[in-house]
Amino acid sequence: MAEKMVCCHECDELLHIPQTQKEGRLKCPRCGTVLLRQKKGMVEIMYALSIAAAILFLLTNYFPFLSFHVVGNTSHANFMTSIVYLFGEGDWLIGIAVLMTTVVVPLIRIGLMLSLFGPIYHGIIPPYTVLALKVLSHSLPWAMLDVFLVGVFVSMVKLVKMGTIVPGLSLWAFMVMVFVMAAMQVVFDPHPLWEKVDERRRQKGMA
Amino acid sequence: MRAIELGMTNCHVCNQVVKLPKHKGEGTVLCPRCGEEVHLRKPNSIQYTWALVIASIILYIPANVLPMMEVETFAGTQADTIISGVIYFLETGSYLIASVIFIASIIVPITKLIILIYLLVSVQKKSPLHKKKRKKLYVLTELIGKWSMVDVYVVAIMIALVHFGGLTEIKAGDGATYFLLVVVVTMIAAMQFDPKLIWDTEIQEKRETDAGNA
Repeated sequence: MAEKMVCCHECDELLHIPQTQKEGRLKCPRCGTVLLRQKKGMVEIMYALSIAAAILFLLTNYFPFLSFHVVGNTSHANFMTSIVYLFGEGDWLIGIAVLMTTVVVPLIRIGLMLSLFGPIYHGIIPPYTVLALKVLSHSLPWAMLDVFLVGVFVSMVKLVKMGTIVPGLSLWAFMVMVFVMAAMQVVFDPHPLWEKVDERRRQKGMA
Repeated sequence: MRAIELGMTNCHVCNQVVKLPKHKGEGTVLCPRCGEEVHLRKPNSIQYTWALVIASIILYIPANVLPMMEVETFAGTQADTIISGVIYFLETGSYLIASVIFIASIIVPITKLIILIYLLVSVQKKSPLHKKKRKKLYVLTELIGKWSMVDVYVVAIMIALVHFGGLTEIKAGDGATYFLLVVVVTMIAAMQFDPKLIWDTEIQEKRETDAGNA
């Protein structure tokens, strides 16, 4: 019985999932929160987007991000070297925060999405599905690439007055990555994956 | 029908509907699907949220008083707080940037704290009013929280790019560290709050009328 029910995480309303509903959103009648997305082709889109995000992540971290010229002096900033520089300056708390929210957490999320949707697309439910979905659920608020992008724009305006700013290839890759990751968040729906975990558990129970 | 009336709730990670045992105090209940701890309501939600809200109000003071960024040039050192940074942008005519910083560093944290305090007080008073609007406010606090990080990122990018030996050097001020803590602590505060408490007044009313009838 419990499997066909859903409980609203905002207001605690308990409702049955209509048997006829195979596609489309299910909204909470009490508070209006979207409870189920049930979008067709979710796995395919997520697989494609996570491959794109992984490539863009590599580009972002390999090439120089911004170059800055002031009367004969030039400094290049890579994503990682900048963070290392922050640590060197003794701003380790800010360094850790930037490292976690713009490199570590996004990397973990992209890696997990890829290692989930890759096998699932080919019909295999990987044994680490539960762990991966849990980490994805907990890490969501700490991925802040979109915020960092705004930070980049603000600092560019600040620096333009001091010298010449040259955006590197990495910045363009980064901008596209922000949009790809935003799209991933819109499409991602863990519900069908949890159902697959359930299915597998039931099959194991029978065997 | 609300899940609490049947002693049920959803797992906060995998959303599985779980029935909790009637008698409390027999250890924690684990979700049969994902193994995460399941509670009818987040434990000590109101106390934790209050504590974190008060902590972030206290941290917000040094975050505003102390400089975010110190620019050292041959002409001397210039320290900028959040407000003086905004004023600098206004004076130089960058209104868009000034408003981005003003919204991200001042409006967002203050709005978030006011909303959380309002939600805490209204839940503690068991207010039956504006439940849907309060739910929307809660969703808003979760949505806007991380955008306060903009100013911290700006400081980090400036430090990473501007280091020309003795000519110009940018250093992070202590204000940046305090401000970072404000962002993190308010985010955890919003996570600690249980939005289901907003809607829990109805069971209270029902129980009271039941008791009155008996």
